[in-house]
Amino acid sequence: MNLLSVKSLRKQYPSFLLDDISFDLEPGCIMGFIGRNGAGKTTTMKAMLNLIKRDGGSVFVDGMDFFENESECKQKIGFIMGEFNCYMRSKLKTIADVTKRFYKEWDDSAYKGYLEKFSLDENKKIRELSAGMRVKFALALALSHNAKLLILDEPTSGLDPVSRNELLDVLRSLVEDGTRSVLFSTHIISDLEKCADFIGYIKNGKLFDFTDTESFRNKFMLVSGEQEHLESLKTHLISYKENAFGFSGLIKAEDAGLFSDCRTAPADLESIMVYVEQEEEK
Amino acid sequence: MKKLLYKEFKLCMHPLVFFFSLSALMFLIPSYVYLVACFFTGNAIFNSMQISNSNSDVLFTALLPISKREAVKSKYLFVAVIQLAMMLVFTAMIFVHHALLTDANKAGLDACPALLGGCFLVYSVFNATFLPFFYKNGYKAERAFLISTIAVFLFIFVFEGFFIAAGAAAGSVPFFAWIENNIDCWPGSSSSLLYQLLFIGAGLLIYFFITLLSYRRSCKLFDEVDI
Repeated sequence: MNLLSVKSLRKQYPSFLLDDISFDLEPGCIMGFIGRNGAGKTTTMKAMLNLIKRDGGSVFVDGMDFFENESECKQKIGFIMGEFNCYMRSKLKTIADVTKRFYKEWDDSAYKGYLEKFSLDENKKIRELSAGMRVKFALALALSHNAKLLILDEPTSGLDPVSRNELLDVLRSLVEDGTRSVLFSTHIISDLEKCADFIGYIKNGKLFDFTDTESFRNKFMLVSGEQEHLESLKTHLISYKENAFGFSGLIKAEDAGLFSDCRTAPADLESIMVYVEQEEEK
Repeated sequence: MKKLLYKEFKLCMHPLVFFFSLSALMFLIPSYVYLVACFFTGNAIFNSMQISNSNSDVLFTALLPISKREAVKSKYLFVAVIQLAMMLVFTAMIFVHHALLTDANKAGLDACPALLGGCFLVYSVFNATFLPFFYKNGYKAERAFLISTIAVFLFIFVFEGFFIAAGAAAGSVPFFAWIENNIDCWPGSSSSLLYQLLFIGAGLLIYFFITLLSYRRSCKLFDEVDI
């Protein structure tokens, strides 16, 4: 059974439409949610959690209709939106003391463990923490109630590379036993290269692609060649950049045969996203 | 319910709530519009809502394993507990007033048991306006407070005006004389005490139903709000 199932989620704003977002997430998986700023990543996550009123669609968490069983479903979800910016004058221990009362499966020893792992002093106030430490505190809260599904919106943005790596290790170890899943959005694409099993790519409010990371990468290839080849191959390039030596761009893997005179290489997630978004502007 | 209240008092209550409870001392002013003291309770609640806003309380609460309806309930419980606690303080101050001062109040209803009914009505007006206007968007506490302040003072003006008029016309209008002898006075007889208790009861009932209706309205409004 899927741990998370999103079906035809829709939200209409006067100048933006989040349309027909559907995907499933099995237990034991990490799904990276990518897309440029304003593409609809946060809107999708908020609509999934009823933080914004959806105009259509349904969400199932561990087989339960989220909108019919909101409280029960939220017991199974750990959600963070970037750094923790609530109750700036309160101490970490006060906030944790309040939070733990709401969760049936709050695990005090796990919480203490994360405090130690992230070097958080619970006698400090939120305003005394750096942006990165606030993200870590949000994570400690989200990870300490035995959540089966973690939904993390830009969890790595304020973190230094070492902390980001630590977090990715934590996420990987969380899904290892095959009972939990993680959905996280980021525009630090290299983080996803390291740990995402699936990629959900959202573009202009629509799900452009949802597939496993390897297949997603294999759909595209990077190509570079001489200026003289560009004119005849232009139409087959998703998008390209011209430079002093010729051009470099992104093609669909199925078109690789057309580029036999050029150099091709496997595409990485970041390049795919950059070129695909450029296609829009082309 | 306990955990919701715990969250409100631990994370959202402004220290001014304690300071504004001193407004009950206004009951010791010899002649005064005593219902104004209730306005300060609203002011304390407004300050708590403001501090909650600046602390992203709405978002934090929405992420807890509760529904949006329970998030609204949390605030209503918080407001009701503060108001009911203030009613106890007001009750004590009415007795202190009676022990220290005996002159009739020329600025409105006397500091007598019936005043508590008036306090319930002021709180009803506050709850009917402030919280639904706040939950219309979930963050504009200042606008909601301005609207509730206008409504509360309009109500106080009419309510206390009625008792001032009753005092002035008691000699010529029998109904006003009855009011002066049974409601706007320290109860001198068991029937007067009964009328005043009925007045308090009516105020409490109105408070209960208005707050309940206001809660339902706020839930409906907040359900439409995008956080």
